[in-house]
Amino acid sequence: MDSKKLTKDKFGGFIDLLSKQKLYVPQMAGETLRFAPVDSKDEVNLVFSNTAVPPKSVLFPQTETLYEYEAGGTEMIIPEGPEEKVLLGVRPCDARALTIVDKLFSWDIDDPYYLKKREATTIIGLACQEPGINCFCTSVGGGPASTEGLDLLLTDLGEGYLLQPLTEKGEKLCQDAGELLVDAAGEDNQAADKVHQEAAEKIVRNINVDGIPQKLEDLWESPLWKKVSDACLGCGACTFLCPTCHCFDIQDEMEGFEGRRCRVWDSCMFKEYTLHTSGHNPRPTRRERTRNRVNHKYSYFVKNFGTIACVGCGRCINNCPVNIDILDILSQVVKEAL
Amino acid sequence: MVDLEKLKNVAKDTVSREDVKYLIGWRQGTYGFRVSPLFMTEPEDADKLIFSPLCVNNLATYLTLAEKLPVPRGAEPDTRKVALMVKGCDSRAVVQQLIEKGIERESVLVIGCPCQGVLDLEKVEEKFPGIHSPVDVQWGDDKFIINLPDGPQEVPREELLAKKCLNCRYPNPVMSDVMLWEEVEAWGNGEYADVKELEEKDSQARWSFWQDKFESCIRCYACRNACPMCYCEDCVLDRLNPQWIYRSNNISENTVFHLARAFHLVGRCIECGECERVCPMGLPLMTLNRKLVKEVRDKYDFEPGLDPESKPFQSSYRPDDQEDFIL
Amino acid sequence: MSEQYDPNIVAFLCNWCSYAGADLAGTSRTHYPANINIIRVMCSGRVNPLFIINALQQGADGVLVSGCHPGDCHYMEGNFYARRRFGLMKELLEYVGVDPKRFNMSWVSASEGSKWKDVVEDVVEKAKEAGPFEQFRRNKINW
Repeated sequence: MDSKKLTKDKFGGFIDLLSKQKLYVPQMAGETLRFAPVDSKDEVNLVFSNTAVPPKSVLFPQTETLYEYEAGGTEMIIPEGPEEKVLLGVRPCDARALTIVDKLFSWDIDDPYYLKKREATTIIGLACQEPGINCFCTSVGGGPASTEGLDLLLTDLGEGYLLQPLTEKGEKLCQDAGELLVDAAGEDNQAADKVHQEAAEKIVRNINVDGIPQKLEDLWESPLWKKVSDACLGCGACTFLCPTCHCFDIQDEMEGFEGRRCRVWDSCMFKEYTLHTSGHNPRPTRRERTRNRVNHKYSYFVKNFGTIACVGCGRCINNCPVNIDILDILSQVVKEAL
Repeated sequence: MVDLEKLKNVAKDTVSREDVKYLIGWRQGTYGFRVSPLFMTEPEDADKLIFSPLCVNNLATYLTLAEKLPVPRGAEPDTRKVALMVKGCDSRAVVQQLIEKGIERESVLVIGCPCQGVLDLEKVEEKFPGIHSPVDVQWGDDKFIINLPDGPQEVPREELLAKKCLNCRYPNPVMSDVMLWEEVEAWGNGEYADVKELEEKDSQARWSFWQDKFESCIRCYACRNACPMCYCEDCVLDRLNPQWIYRSNNISENTVFHLARAFHLVGRCIECGECERVCPMGLPLMTLNRKLVKEVRDKYDFEPGLDPESKPFQSSYRPDDQEDFIL
Repeated sequence: MSEQYDPNIVAFLCNWCSYAGADLAGTSRTHYPANINIIRVMCSGRVNPLFIINALQQGADGVLVSGCHPGDCHYMEGNFYARRRFGLMKELLEYVGVDPKRFNMSWVSASEGSKWKDVVEDVVEKAKEAGPFEQFRRNKINW
């Protein structure tokens, strides 16, 4: 299907159409932006750099009930299947991250909770125009207008949006929109290409990832890891806000005689993440934990799935309280391995 | 005034000492206005040390953060000192840890850096966005001199001062083994505008304020980990039996987490503001802590982290403590 | 608030004074509201602030901590520590917007059966005024 154009005066109508399903857009929660369901059209504002919490929080919520039970009972009450959702305004990096998380959750065992939600969700991307200071998506195979993981990509052309349908879901949405859209002219496509290119040029930080998985393997015992992890506080800011981090912990929670088994986000930077019942901890210090975080993204995941589990959104760099910078670590790795 | 040469020389001499394991100071970060802690073991690293309005991190946290691994059989435990650079607020954290016997006096060597107030990272990054190269910032008279890539800029002090510094009463280290330069004059009067503002609201408004904040918490525990006073080996938040606080993220558990965290700091919080600074969700955690600091000071006439010989607030009492709340 | 509303109140009583006081009220056949759920602890100084928060979380509408009068503590000074701790706990709860009527503390000695009755009546009255506690109650709505 060819690309379409949505002028801004028709934008309200487009939102109405999307609102037929549950619509999520970036909204302020407390002091920061995150994806939340929309109650009224006024809340839709697509001018932002990127959300503080990545959209993975919708498909892989921080707390997710797996089933409920009663004390002493044997019956599992599994929550009803997910409702149809639309995520509007997902940045291409975060959408790419979903394709990475997909690989994990459909690996040896299909994770029904995640995959059903993923199936029921339409993801509408918004090409990035103002990359953040620590963005490096272009170094890890993405870009400000990357289409991976998206059903439909919007590009803000000023007077309107250019819509590029990418999957059947996206095409169906364009068909449903019908009258609201017009066929995009050749110059619109060119304008969009220009916007995409200008955004890519604004990205300053970069890293050459060639050979990094092997280098990481070679540097397993390097003193480098102690050096880069000394300052680490061991908090979960980097991992909880990472769009590709997917670790969880299973918890049983009781309220009176009713209980639920739920999964909650967990972080490999926490000391009890690998703590055994015996008291032994195979990753006893922050050195091993930091090493694991970098290796998982740039080495293990590459070996298992053939892709780097980092999309270059820069959140871990922005949010680290002590300026532990993954690009800095990687450049030290490259230097050290020579 | 800041004397960087002296700081570097003292640092070199310190790490050359036999009885010092390493020195913790500040170094320029990888971009913009960021600063990172430097763990210095070699005298050559002294050139990386800085002390500027960007040095906001409270390094006292690292005294208790280092993991204590079991000593291999036959080996002697490493009893060398850790040298630590402290600002006024940081030194109170060290003192409070000494009061609580969290660390031993012999295990730490305190290098005092009187401080004129640090920058609010959020404000400065908003004012000068998109700067990739590391920026050097200096104190001027009532202003900050910011050496941007395209030339220096002067900004009035009040505009960019961190919230915790606006009302600082202890800019000079209250305890040190070496004081690097002259002490500065304190400027704070100990009034908390944010607490007062919230206290004047009604109960419902206060709850909606905190509900909104607590709901957006992601429980990354950065506030706990960055806090120099949160050093329990086995934190109540991690404990599974009894599990006072569930791991699930909802308003109930998040509120309890924040109340528990704040309450564990009663009579211990030394107002370094690290919890609030490190919060990726921008929660005003100091507004919670300051309330208790204020009550402890006004009603119990107690301030933590000043005298290493004093007793901790919660394990001492006075027979005439207030009891007007008792039925 | 409807007449029927019966608040749930959790009371932490010290073994040596307040629990004996409540016992005395019972053996003297004193009538007082039955909304109180007593948990006996060895000393008011043993009550962890998390007990209070957790009680509210699990369905209490009010919490009472009661111990010996200052100076009468079986362990000499346990209630002095409790007084410091819970004075601030009350401030903190009030500050985040929890109705201060929900949390109370009292001194009731072993001989004060009638004072126990007055305290309970007062606490129940206050909890009724405050209404059901919902703010950070741990319930299925949060699931």
